[in-house]
Amino acid sequence: MAEIEVSHLTFSYDGKRDVLSDMSFRIEEGETVGLIGANGTGKSTILKLLVGLLSGHQGSIQADGVEVEKKSLEEVRRKIGYVFQDSDSQLFLSTVYEDVAFGPRNYGYSKEEVERRVLRALKQVHMEEWKDRQIYRLSGGQKKLVSIATVLSMEPEILLFDEPSIALDPRNRKHLIHIIKEMKGLKIIASHDLDLILDTCPRTILIAGGHIIRDGNTKDILMNQKLLCENGLELPLSLGNMKTV
Amino acid sequence: MHMADALIAPAVAGTMYLCSGGAMGYSVKKVRQSGEPEKIPVMGVMGAFVFAAQMINFTIPGTGSSGHLCGGMLLSAILGPEAGFLTMIGVLLIQALLFADGGVLALGANIWNMAFYGCFVGGGLIWKWMMKKGMSKKKIAVSSIVGCMLTLQLGAFSVTLETLFSGVTQLPFFVFLAAMQPIHLAIGLVEGLITAAVLVFIYEARPEMLWGYGVKESGTGKLSQKKTIAVLALSALVIGGAFSLAASAYPDGLEWSMEKAAGTTELETAGGIYDRAAGVQDAVALLPDYQFKGSESAAGTSVSGILGGVAVTAVCILGCYALKLFGKRKTADMKSEKGKEGHE
Amino acid sequence: MNKLQQAVAMLHEVDSEAGKRSSKSRIHPASRLFVCVLFILITVSFHKYNVMGLLSMWLYLLITGIWEELSFWKGLKRIRYILLLIVLLGTANLFFDRNVIFCLGSMHITGGMISMATLLIKGMLTVYAAYFLLMETGIEGICAALRTFGIPKGGVTVILLIYRYLILLLKEVQRMSQAYQLRAPGQKGIHIRTWGSFVGLLLLRTMERAGDIYGSMLLRGYQGEYRQQEVLGGRISRVLSGIYAAAWTLVLLFLRVFPVFQMVGNLLG
Repeated sequence: MAEIEVSHLTFSYDGKRDVLSDMSFRIEEGETVGLIGANGTGKSTILKLLVGLLSGHQGSIQADGVEVEKKSLEEVRRKIGYVFQDSDSQLFLSTVYEDVAFGPRNYGYSKEEVERRVLRALKQVHMEEWKDRQIYRLSGGQKKLVSIATVLSMEPEILLFDEPSIALDPRNRKHLIHIIKEMKGLKIIASHDLDLILDTCPRTILIAGGHIIRDGNTKDILMNQKLLCENGLELPLSLGNMKTV
Repeated sequence: MHMADALIAPAVAGTMYLCSGGAMGYSVKKVRQSGEPEKIPVMGVMGAFVFAAQMINFTIPGTGSSGHLCGGMLLSAILGPEAGFLTMIGVLLIQALLFADGGVLALGANIWNMAFYGCFVGGGLIWKWMMKKGMSKKKIAVSSIVGCMLTLQLGAFSVTLETLFSGVTQLPFFVFLAAMQPIHLAIGLVEGLITAAVLVFIYEARPEMLWGYGVKESGTGKLSQKKTIAVLALSALVIGGAFSLAASAYPDGLEWSMEKAAGTTELETAGGIYDRAAGVQDAVALLPDYQFKGSESAAGTSVSGILGGVAVTAVCILGCYALKLFGKRKTADMKSEKGKEGHE
Repeated sequence: MNKLQQAVAMLHEVDSEAGKRSSKSRIHPASRLFVCVLFILITVSFHKYNVMGLLSMWLYLLITGIWEELSFWKGLKRIRYILLLIVLLGTANLFFDRNVIFCLGSMHITGGMISMATLLIKGMLTVYAAYFLLMETGIEGICAALRTFGIPKGGVTVILLIYRYLILLLKEVQRMSQAYQLRAPGQKGIHIRTWGSFVGLLLLRTMERAGDIYGSMLLRGYQGEYRQQEVLGGRISRVLSGIYAAAWTLVLLFLRVFPVFQMVGNLLG
């Protein structure tokens, strides 16, 4: 049962100012949740804490019933896939195949199993024809899809996306939304692209100043212009249009 | 300062590979011991950074020219000398392959001339010694400038020695030296200033990124001033010794190994096996070196050589294309056969 | 900023050329690296007056170039980087070695002239050899070869990473320089007042990226060692690689020992 339970989470980078303070939420298996907030509100920080890339927090973070701490990192990271904001940081090998195979190889799977996982992951993001391509020759959108494939090849139960639609053109963005919707399992999408959140997440958590401001139905939160404005966000374009229509 | 393959003799190249290889082995061990797996990606990205940053032109005020960044010193000041050295090896290797900046054979020498001095003398000795009692902007600037100037001088001196021991130029030692050292003094000063500017900026923005920041060694450090000087002197001695040994044993372009295999060398007078070898050489006239000595026949052999060269080249070209054609046909046949099978 | 553009163009060229070949090549890059180094070693070992012998070495490049369909023209462009250096040192030979070796009509050919010629030829041959090697195998191939020769994994991983991020950083430097130039017209390079911040900011961003890369590696099970797939599996390619290396070793040694061009010339004339 893949679920995430965060309780009384407090975190600070410098020991002086809390980026997150006393935050609690629970996400059930199969849910897709949007994490929204203005720049610098700690969206990425939450995601990084969930996979243990940051440490030194107070409170408890549990993934699939396992407390995220130093000794459980390997177990936790097998369950959780993390798609970085900058695809170029995520893709550090030369070709698409090599990069997607990096994770499975590290876990010591056989050559055949590695190949099966790579091809499956690439198929899921519709990039199987590009497997021999040099990474740097891919477009921004393709790089994002391959980044997702590198995570999918490890067959995680939980997927975290950090600003997945940033720097994508409208068509690639649409394609990405389609792919995210196809994927199964628990997903958290941190973004200030509210249209993307609206399209993919039934539930949304709005954070500001290190606290959860609202946690609930995405439409209810995103239609609330006053609430969004108070927290440095704006009404999604699609909803804005709807209103005027 | 990159040496090309054509300018280095195999024995000198080999000696330098050994020296650089030794330093590399030591560095690999040290980096492994430090147990910082996060160093590997940092080294990779920083190598690419130095590579790219070296392409930036920095205007030198008052002159029309421009200067560049000193990679070894900068890398050591951030990664430490050992990791910096390994990173520089990667940078130099890719430079040699991609841009013909220095050759494959001369890589060992280039690693020594640029990476070793820059990282171990500039970073490992000067930077470390200066920062022993805490960092300051002034210390960073001074050690960058002194480090760059000194390491470039050492590098230029090594280039001079390596070239001369390779016997490719008839330029007298002191003429060459007098040309190399002053130029590199000026280059070193500019590189030092640029490197200092960058490191001071980092010190103000993120001091913890600098190597040795916050590590104040108590009492006498690992390297006292005397020891520093001793290490410097010793390394100079070792290098000088290795060179003169190699050079005195195998003079004249150090082409000994191949010639010995061929049975022709200028050491025939040594008697014994060499006499016999010389006899064989006379009989089949293996190497045209000696034919050049008779000036009449030299022109003649050159003509026949050119004729032969053209003929062999032509045969090779024809042979290659014929084989290629044959290969293509064969694969085409195989494909069509496979196609047939498929249809059946 | 011409150099930057050239560098980016070169990277693209290598990737497309090597990408075309390495996938269908059955010869292990280690074999190719070995032959290339041997070729360079033998080439530079020729005596400074032995022009004909040296010229016969070109057969290796000729055959490799035709067989692998490599461009001799593009290789020629790379020579200019080292030409200056060679000419500088070679010119000295003209002045210091004036022994007349033979006469060509009324022209006195001196030792200095010949040794300068051999130096130039050596320069051409060695640069071509390295260029062809790179075009045949690509950087990934060379890294695989280095692994075969016992270079530690960490070192090879660093080289691969440098190569991977090189183009990204070159382009970033290019963008920064262009942005700088647009706001500082007429300046040839970066002004002294901005030396530190220009490079420093890029360095800070680079280190941040390095942190993310390490995070991404950790999240995919990296434990200090990169498990790369070994390049070669099949027995046929192993045999072919062996034959390739052995055959070229023999040919190159033969060319070094025997004045092949003259022997053939004597037979013909």
